[in-house]
Amino acid sequence: MIEVSDVIYDYATARALFGVSFKVDAGAVLALVGPNGAGKTTLMRCMAALDAPTQGQIRIAGIDTQDDPRGVHAAIGYLPDFFGLYDELSVHRSLTYAARSRGVPQADAEGAVLEAARRVQLDDRLNARAGELSRGLRQRLAIAQTIVHRPRVLLLDEPAAGLDPEARRSLSDLILSLAGEGMTIVVSSHILSELEDYSTQMLMIRDGQVAGGGVVAAGGGLRDGARISVTFAEPPADLAARLAGLGLTVERLDGADAVILAQADEDDAEVLARLIGAGLKVKAFQPARKTLEDAYLAEVRR
Amino acid sequence: MNPEFQRNIWLEASPRRIAWAGVVLALIFGATALVTKNEGALVAKAMSGVGVGIFVLCAVMWGARAAGTAVISEISDRTWDFQRLSALTPWAMTWGKLFGATSLAWLCGLTGLAVMALAALVDGEPDKGWSLVQLLAIALLVQAISMVAALIGVRKARAEGRIARAGGVLGGLIIGILLLFSIGGASGFQHGMGLTGITEMLSSHATVLWWSASVPGDLFRAVAGVVFAAWALAGAWRLMRLELQMQNTPLVWPGFLLFLALFTAGFQIAQGGLTAGLVSGALIVALCAYGAAFADPADRVRLRQFAESTRRGDLKRAAPIMPAVLAPVILTILLVIVAAVAMGPLPDGSPAQSLGVRQAVALIAFMIRDLGVIAFFRFGPRPQRGDFGAVVALALLYGIGGIVGGSIGKDFGFALFTPLGEATLVSVLSGGVQAVLAWTLAVRRIRAPEAKLSAPAPSAPASAPAS
Repeated sequence: MIEVSDVIYDYATARALFGVSFKVDAGAVLALVGPNGAGKTTLMRCMAALDAPTQGQIRIAGIDTQDDPRGVHAAIGYLPDFFGLYDELSVHRSLTYAARSRGVPQADAEGAVLEAARRVQLDDRLNARAGELSRGLRQRLAIAQTIVHRPRVLLLDEPAAGLDPEARRSLSDLILSLAGEGMTIVVSSHILSELEDYSTQMLMIRDGQVAGGGVVAAGGGLRDGARISVTFAEPPADLAARLAGLGLTVERLDGADAVILAQADEDDAEVLARLIGAGLKVKAFQPARKTLEDAYLAEVRR
Repeated sequence: MNPEFQRNIWLEASPRRIAWAGVVLALIFGATALVTKNEGALVAKAMSGVGVGIFVLCAVMWGARAAGTAVISEISDRTWDFQRLSALTPWAMTWGKLFGATSLAWLCGLTGLAVMALAALVDGEPDKGWSLVQLLAIALLVQAISMVAALIGVRKARAEGRIARAGGVLGGLIIGILLLFSIGGASGFQHGMGLTGITEMLSSHATVLWWSASVPGDLFRAVAGVVFAAWALAGAWRLMRLELQMQNTPLVWPGFLLFLALFTAGFQIAQGGLTAGLVSGALIVALCAYGAAFADPADRVRLRQFAESTRRGDLKRAAPIMPAVLAPVILTILLVIVAAVAMGPLPDGSPAQSLGVRQAVALIAFMIRDLGVIAFFRFGPRPQRGDFGAVVALALLYGIGGIVGGSIGKDFGFALFTPLGEATLVSVLSGGVQAVLAWTLAVRRIRAPEAKLSAPAPSAPASAPAS
């Protein structure tokens, strides 16, 4: 759905992106992570066809951003990190303008407006002026404006910045819901916990380059069964050798505590059964959840 | 309805604002009628004058401000990217903003114009038709120019890494237009220089001799106003295309320059012949080159891409990003050369052609030098101060240079610093050397940042982003 090939972007006095390449499959939720100033926003703006890369090619939903930028604009929704609203317009008029200006036919506009407002829980504030809304509600309105035309690709740049925990939870639910409908979503942030709940893939950008191994699985909030934390009661002196003898790879062994890497197709219960069957006294057995931070740090170490 | 127009109507022409505007207009016209109620025939004239005044205040001045703000406020309110991502066509965005943001100003202005027309009928002056067209064209022209200025400001600011503002560009355009009228007045195109020339031109009832045709002044001004308003609208539309990331074919800008040259030449050709017409056309196009040199964004990246595409012979990629200054420079050179050739021998048999050619080459050399000076300053380390620096540098070169030259020697010294001296060969050589020097420095500045474009060495593992 998104193909970025050898993208270079130059500002007047400095290069911001150095040959960035990656692909994102349809339906994925990609966490675009990296420190401040890494080039995330520049990359997002190039993907949104708001800025043209100096070199390289970006295709969104099969459309080249330089050959047909307007086609890309129609296919995407983009929420920049610093966005504005028409403060004098009501929520309803703001969404109506967003829908109509993004090509929703007049006859379908009202339905699209009500649906977008419902999705961000603003349907009870349709007549409120945008300027009267709290920060969290403004963020919701901005997201509603971004999705009102049901884009195929959604680009969100730091969408949870400044939101309270409840609003962040609502945002997570919304992104999961949109991803469930097949929308491809790229979310940029330098706060990993924001992305934890919904990202299925991760791409790290550092110093304007893809860091680590490119797009990697991020866990998507699901337990990764390959890593298991085990605490042994009365661990034998040759614990490492015995675990190796069972065909298990030990990532870390610290006294009675071990992190075991099971085979990708191996069930947790099978691993536990093998440990007990080998006469090892298992005090605690916890399949580890691979967090986005784990993935990030693993990529940093590569 | 065009969604952009609709949005602007929601914001600008709400029933409440319209009602207030109606009350204010009613008070103004009511007061005028009250003051002149015992003056008999003066009532219609007073109402007509007040109507024109309201039109100028509202449609021209307020409208121009609203048209420029329609773009600039989107930048300051951070809604411009949202608009750039819309599915609206550039033309829909242009007219939606232009007529939507100025809707209330037009409503008030047209009310004033309607009162003026009615008063003219009552006063037995039914031949005000062309004046009405002229006023409408002027309002549209000024509003469109204001939007053009705002869009140029946005592009310049983006390239220079600062917040966009229309004031500077609009100020530059006004100064440019006044300069144009000054030169026009000095060259005999119109009845006086600067503001005097403008008012003379707008109020003259005499016929205009243009391309050997004698046209009534009212008609000429009305048609010319409409045509220039159409060009200004086209300019706003082309700039809007660029803002929406579309590419422009390099035809409309040269087309406008050619039109401008022909329009200007038309005033001179009847009196001074073909050479005078070509020279006046070249002069106005050369002024456009200076304007373009200031209006084009100081965008090194775009220039590098243009240079690279041209070097590869990839004209399809090079043409849309061609610097705006190139077209007027090429057209000026062509017009000047043709004018010099067309000059022919003087009646006394002296070699007028070689003199004319030398003068022409000197003019071109100094123009190219000036453009180099402008580029040098605009691509400096602080591009936001580049425009002012370039203006000061040119003023010093011509002002102080002229004084220094004069002290060296009347003909020789003067020719060193201006292209119009008697010693034309000295002007050619001096202008040529200065042009080479100015462009050598400018190119060094434009290319300088390339040293910073190499990939950074892999940095130490970054600390994990905040979690």
